[in-house]
Amino acid sequence: MSVLGLVLGQFSDLIESMATSKKVITREEWEKKLSDVKIRKEDMNKLVMNFLVTEGYVEAAEKFRLESGTEPDIDLATITDRMAVKTAVQSGNVEDAIEKVNDLNPEILDTNPELFFHLQQQRMIELIRNGRVEEALEFAQEELAPRGEENQSFLEELEKTVALLAFEDVSNCPVGDLLDMSQRLKTASEVNAAILTSQSHEKDPKLPSLLKMLIWAQNLLDEKAVYPRINDLSSAKLEDPAV
Amino acid sequence: MPASKTSNRPEELTERLGAGVASVDAGSETLLKVLREVKNQIIGNKTKKLTYLHLGAVPKVVSILVSALDSGDGSTAASLVVQSAAALGSFACGVDAGVQAVLDAGAVTHLTRLLSSPDEKVVDAGARSLRMIFQSKLSPKYDYLQENNMKFLLLLLNSENENVTDLAASIITHSCESSTEQKILCDAGVLERLVTLLEGSLCQRDSSLDSIAAIIRNNSESVSRFVGIDNGKALSCIVELMKDRYPRTRLLACVCLIVIGHASSFYVQEPEIKTKLILILTELLEESGRPGDEAPFALVSLIANKEDLHKQALSVNVVEKLCSFLCQAHIDGKRLQGVLLVLAELCSNLEKCRDQFMSSKVLNVVADALKHDCPNVRIAACTCLTSISRSVKDLLQNLFAGYLAKESIVIPLVLLLQDSSSDVQVAALKAICNIVVDFMARKTIFLQSGCVKQLVQLSKSMDCTLRLNAVWALRNMMFHADKIGKEGILSELTESMLASLICDSEPHVQEQALALVRNLVDGCTDSIERMFVEDGMILNAVARQVRLTSVPEVCIQGMFVLGNVAAGNDAHKEAVMTYFLPPKKDEISSAFITRFLQSTDSLLQTAVIWCIVNLTYPDSPSSSARVSRLRDAGIIAQLKNMINNPCLDVKYRVRTALGQCTIIEQNSS
Repeated sequence: MSVLGLVLGQFSDLIESMATSKKVITREEWEKKLSDVKIRKEDMNKLVMNFLVTEGYVEAAEKFRLESGTEPDIDLATITDRMAVKTAVQSGNVEDAIEKVNDLNPEILDTNPELFFHLQQQRMIELIRNGRVEEALEFAQEELAPRGEENQSFLEELEKTVALLAFEDVSNCPVGDLLDMSQRLKTASEVNAAILTSQSHEKDPKLPSLLKMLIWAQNLLDEKAVYPRINDLSSAKLEDPAV
Repeated sequence: MPASKTSNRPEELTERLGAGVASVDAGSETLLKVLREVKNQIIGNKTKKLTYLHLGAVPKVVSILVSALDSGDGSTAASLVVQSAAALGSFACGVDAGVQAVLDAGAVTHLTRLLSSPDEKVVDAGARSLRMIFQSKLSPKYDYLQENNMKFLLLLLNSENENVTDLAASIITHSCESSTEQKILCDAGVLERLVTLLEGSLCQRDSSLDSIAAIIRNNSESVSRFVGIDNGKALSCIVELMKDRYPRTRLLACVCLIVIGHASSFYVQEPEIKTKLILILTELLEESGRPGDEAPFALVSLIANKEDLHKQALSVNVVEKLCSFLCQAHIDGKRLQGVLLVLAELCSNLEKCRDQFMSSKVLNVVADALKHDCPNVRIAACTCLTSISRSVKDLLQNLFAGYLAKESIVIPLVLLLQDSSSDVQVAALKAICNIVVDFMARKTIFLQSGCVKQLVQLSKSMDCTLRLNAVWALRNMMFHADKIGKEGILSELTESMLASLICDSEPHVQEQALALVRNLVDGCTDSIERMFVEDGMILNAVARQVRLTSVPEVCIQGMFVLGNVAAGNDAHKEAVMTYFLPPKKDEISSAFITRFLQSTDSLLQTAVIWCIVNLTYPDSPSSSARVSRLRDAGIIAQLKNMINNPCLDVKYRVRTALGQCTIIEQNSS
């Protein structure tokens, strides 16, 4: 957070000094100002580690820990477990994923009915995808219907899912998107977020929000000044001000 | 059905759990599999939990836990401990019967043993399970007063393991109620430790906020202690957390601040903070889960009975926001109840709030809520109607009457009078009570709805709250009712029933019954006649109650009844006179008028004097005889002493009465 604070602080200084008229700032001036901002290496490393950990790059995180000496704020072993859950959902092994989550922390699904429902729903989607219609129906009746009774919005989602069974050509039916890979990814990221939250870890990495703030600050600054802007985030190249 | 599926049936699995206990020593992998299967089936699944509870699985799991604990080391034993602890925790999560079964099987003692294990996984499993158990209202209170218990709690609270500190915090939240308990925890330095935990992980922060609220609730001493920590750093930390990015944290911080504000008006008094609290809690409504469910209740506790905060809420458009929130989508029970209660609170006072309420479509939502499955939602809907019907603005009244005429409210509301929950019945009675008072259009709708029959039924209830509110509703219905209305009510109620209500064992019921009679005999000679049927049964009951009671409110209503009867014809006046001054010299009864006139309650004095004014009405034939009787009894002299009474009402009524007496005496002399 300290990096964030520094960067923002620097921007707000600029914004204040240029509040009166639209000022032109040359590349030299700009670079000089930027070089005045001191950013600690450890902070950078922490941000990188946070990214690796949150995104689940466990081996990279381990290597990075060894090379940079940055300690992750979470037990790296839990990342492996979390990734295993995520992969299981993404490859359609929902039952397996559920068992893994429960081993990790039984409270997650017990206290998160929405997530539990979505996993069960995904399980049914997989049954339908594999043509196990009879099992799917039985599963809907035994496992999903009681959840629908407990919650109105679950019931609506359940109806949508059951509707998959009514169409011969599911790829072309109005609820066909449930069978998309994107549905699996959606469920997987929901589980991922829940596990992270249960580990008291933020569910999103900090780097993207830092970049979002950069864009926000630039937009704010655009109204007051012309300056070397970063347009391409991947290269972070300063573009010369168009005067 | 595939063969593998049958082996996972709860009946079989439970049986195998029972059979497995003996084989724990052998390190049975199969048992571990069964246990894990059961655990995975019940997590998140209420239906399955109930099935297994019914099959008696819980004691079996506890037995496995105990044998695994006793069998010592070995990785299978450890896994069995972890799996059985997890299963027990899940049984205790979200199902009351589950908590009860886990408690009954004595699981708490055994699970506590897990906390001292060197194996972190075992400690985690034990702590999580115990926390589930302590989150339930059913689990017994933790006794801090025992020194050993307190030591153990501190040990947990100071642990390095997050799950263990979370457990300690849940125990505190669960068991800290009395001020003695709060003090013990304060003195042990628990608040300071909790404040450090505020800087810990997300879970620690939340459970710590919960516990802080429990320790400082309604206790100004703990509040000032808390505020004093690090020169107010703790307080400013909570103010910061109010804006946290996690909804649950925001909610808990808001609750803490509300608790602090309630315990001592010295802190959290700035209007800006209160406005912020109102805004944050309103926004939290949109969040799923606990934050959204509990936010409205926190909001109600913040603004309850505080008109300044109602105004602040109004100024940041809370009523509008809540109404559109209710109209936009289906809302689940608890949240719906909460939002309705906030609206009821806001509309209880400010006409402007009622205005906004009525101009939204939210009354339809309230009408539906009257039929909701959950009793608390039905109560909240009734409370809303009670608040709305307080309006004195014609426009709103007409709008409201228009709605009532559509029967979407009246019919379900009257049906609630037969609800299985007496709390719902009382709430419905209170709503009807408010709706029918003084507005002819509304009264007619209710009179036609079969409501009176229900009310009369409830006025015979054994439950005195029901009886009271039923009679109250009848009283209001009788108020300014037309002749047909009055007849309708009385014929349903019957004179004998009314007489027995006047003599009810509860003074509050007596008061309402007398007020009902007062409304019945209000300005209509025909209704006064009803007082004399069956040998003056009702009038006798009234007079008896007035003479014997020591409750001023009962005397007042009784005297107003006598006053209204005395406004009738000469015979009516004579009858009242008999109760006032019986022909035989009866010291006790003559004393009651004298006593009332000497009362410090000016309303009672006024009621008596009104009665005398009606008795001495100059155009009435026997008035002069009555005046001389009053004079002989010393009452006129007593009135003369009251001519400069500080209460204007009393003073003017006394002058009227004395003026009438003078005219009558001049005419007769």
